[in-house]
Amino acid sequence: MSNLSLKNGRNAGIVFGIIILIMFSTGFTLIGNQLVAKLIGNEGFKGLDQFKVFVIFMVLMGLWNGSTAARKPAIAKDEMMPAIANGLVAGLVFGVFSLVISVFFGTMLIIKVDIRNYLVNISPESTKLFLFDQTPVLGGAYHFGIALITSFAGAFLAHFTRTNQSLRNFIANSKRSVSDFSGSPKVVSTVNNQYFKIASYLVLAALLIIIPRQWGSYWNYVFGTVGIYVLLGLGLNIITGWAGQLVIGYVAFFAVGAYSFSLLTSPAPHNLMWNFWIALAVGVVAAAVSGLLIGLPILNLRGDYLAIVTLGLAEIIRILLKSDMLTDFTGGPRGLQKVGGPTLLGNSITSDIDFMYLIIIAVLVVTFFAYRLQNSRTGKAWYAINLDETVARATGINAYSSKLLALTLSAAVAGLAGALFASRNQFTGPDDHALMVSINVICLVIVGGIGNIPGIFLGAFALKGLPEILREIENYRLLVFGVLLIVMMRIRPEGFLPSQRPKLEHPIDLAKSGKEE
Amino acid sequence: MLKVEDLHVYYGAIHALQGINFELEKGEIVALIGANGAGKSTSLNTVSGLLRPAQGSVTFNGEVLNKVPAQQIVRKGIIQVPEGRKIFGRMTVWENLEMGAFIGSDRAVILQDIDSAFSRFPRLKERRNQLGGTLSGGEQQMLAIARGLMAHPDLLLLDEPSMGLSPLLVEQIFDIIQDINEQGTSILLVEQNAQMALAIADRAYVLETGKIVMKGSGDDLLEDQSVIEAYLGGH
Repeated sequence: MSNLSLKNGRNAGIVFGIIILIMFSTGFTLIGNQLVAKLIGNEGFKGLDQFKVFVIFMVLMGLWNGSTAARKPAIAKDEMMPAIANGLVAGLVFGVFSLVISVFFGTMLIIKVDIRNYLVNISPESTKLFLFDQTPVLGGAYHFGIALITSFAGAFLAHFTRTNQSLRNFIANSKRSVSDFSGSPKVVSTVNNQYFKIASYLVLAALLIIIPRQWGSYWNYVFGTVGIYVLLGLGLNIITGWAGQLVIGYVAFFAVGAYSFSLLTSPAPHNLMWNFWIALAVGVVAAAVSGLLIGLPILNLRGDYLAIVTLGLAEIIRILLKSDMLTDFTGGPRGLQKVGGPTLLGNSITSDIDFMYLIIIAVLVVTFFAYRLQNSRTGKAWYAINLDETVARATGINAYSSKLLALTLSAAVAGLAGALFASRNQFTGPDDHALMVSINVICLVIVGGIGNIPGIFLGAFALKGLPEILREIENYRLLVFGVLLIVMMRIRPEGFLPSQRPKLEHPIDLAKSGKEE
Repeated sequence: MLKVEDLHVYYGAIHALQGINFELEKGEIVALIGANGAGKSTSLNTVSGLLRPAQGSVTFNGEVLNKVPAQQIVRKGIIQVPEGRKIFGRMTVWENLEMGAFIGSDRAVILQDIDSAFSRFPRLKERRNQLGGTLSGGEQQMLAIARGLMAHPDLLLLDEPSMGLSPLLVEQIFDIIQDINEQGTSILLVEQNAQMALAIADRAYVLETGKIVMKGSGDDLLEDQSVIEAYLGGH
């Protein structure tokens, strides 16, 4: 109490003030508003509604600001004063920023200086929105008031959650359950925690069943694609994330799966018209065999050979598929049309909802096996090879066959994804299998956190889902990606969800060794 | 037990081992000493199967190992503790030990072995949940040896166990090596620290640029004038 430091509050206020300034000057406040309105289905909102959305946004920013200021570890937990004081200072600084923005740009609007000549995204509508359609001074005063009150509230809330014991227990428990969920099992597990886990599985199952029926074919298509990329990510993760062998031309196996499947189910050029499920199995096996064959001569070498060879393979396959020479066999540059869809008990199940379910099931099955593999003996062997191949061999691991198995499984998953992709689109062509697919998959695995299964879901969503959601604000896509990359490098250099191998605590002979955890 | 005859090994065009012969009887500590690049580590890597000889043979308990893959050699009872404290830095101490028992499958035996590793190295017990990479140099070397022992070797190949350790730790490590030997594990030791190695070795071979230039009991070599001049810094 004696030397009360308000530095945290000041810094938080400045950071949040700058964020608001950037958001305003890029027009993001207005666009973001429209995006929110679209997402909640309030098309063409008018009048007060958009101001409400903006007020909510500013309130949330204020709460965040205040809690950031109050939650720094430097601030003592047992005292309320420093936390609240820092929150107030943060609110004050944040409010001054908003006030200055309001007054300056509001005045510009009134004296009819077209600010768009200098900052192209600050439209009159955007400024009006920022001022809640009030005069500059009044709008600014509102901003100041909101910032001060919400930051104060945020600081209080943050302080409360930090000090209230029962609340903290609850948070710790939920966190533990969530981390159970995200692949880091702990030996210690309470009953409470068990229920939480079962409940979250049930909620998840219900969501997965209900959502595809509700959100229409566009979102089913978008999230179907995300699902396909989750499969690809899970597959690539086996060989690259776990066994540590970089595969750049992963799309090669995707192509093998898609084409094997399509050639067997398409009316042209061969008119084989096989059953969906048999063709799917053949697609998976064909991809697996191609992985095995590529691996046989290469995987006893170390280093980047696999990356280069698969890169070459992917390009060779794409060029062969495109060539006129093979048109009679693979359909050539025009690809394969009318690829077959799934059937169940003689009924065709090809609606967008059916495909969404199919993809969800495939993702669940592959995820299940991925978890089993990660914790298996084989998974440990892969991890050992990844860390140090020499030592791994010295402990009796057959590095060659382990890597071969990883590549084969990896390719099989890609084949599955390829077959599903072709079937859903009822088409596959050489351009579906460009190298960009591989790059995307590598990126999503790395962005998500290499070697971590939940990370792959997040990465696939961020790289394939988010761009679709952000289509409205396409011009800002690169901005968002740029910010994302910088933020990631700063706070998450190992990906959004860094790989957490199961860290089992091993309390043996606690009594003897005395002082433990 | 182990017999190496006329061993030639190449790294590309470099003739690293130029026909060396040595042998090791059951229960012995045999040391290979020599300067940097003499071929000590190469010899060990060839015995453990990480390198392949161009000519000559490695025989273990009457069986020629030339074409046996490394992971099978491990199962025959030869375990290498590689140079430079190579442990799995991003696995915990416990996981490292488990990896050492990779060829074993009986869970109860593995737990028992981990327990005896911990009683031999109490420091490792304290740090069992810590990542290997965060251990100190000496602890890492202990972990590397403990991991090697997890596979119940008949012959332990130790590559420069004293590398980069303080004199006090080196003495500790060598005490442990002797102790392991007394409990029935034969040891083939590669060392630059000739003084320490010769002191505990039953027999030793001196390597120079891929050839064995001298052999004898540890004590004899310690007193040999040319060895003293070349490797023990004496006059």
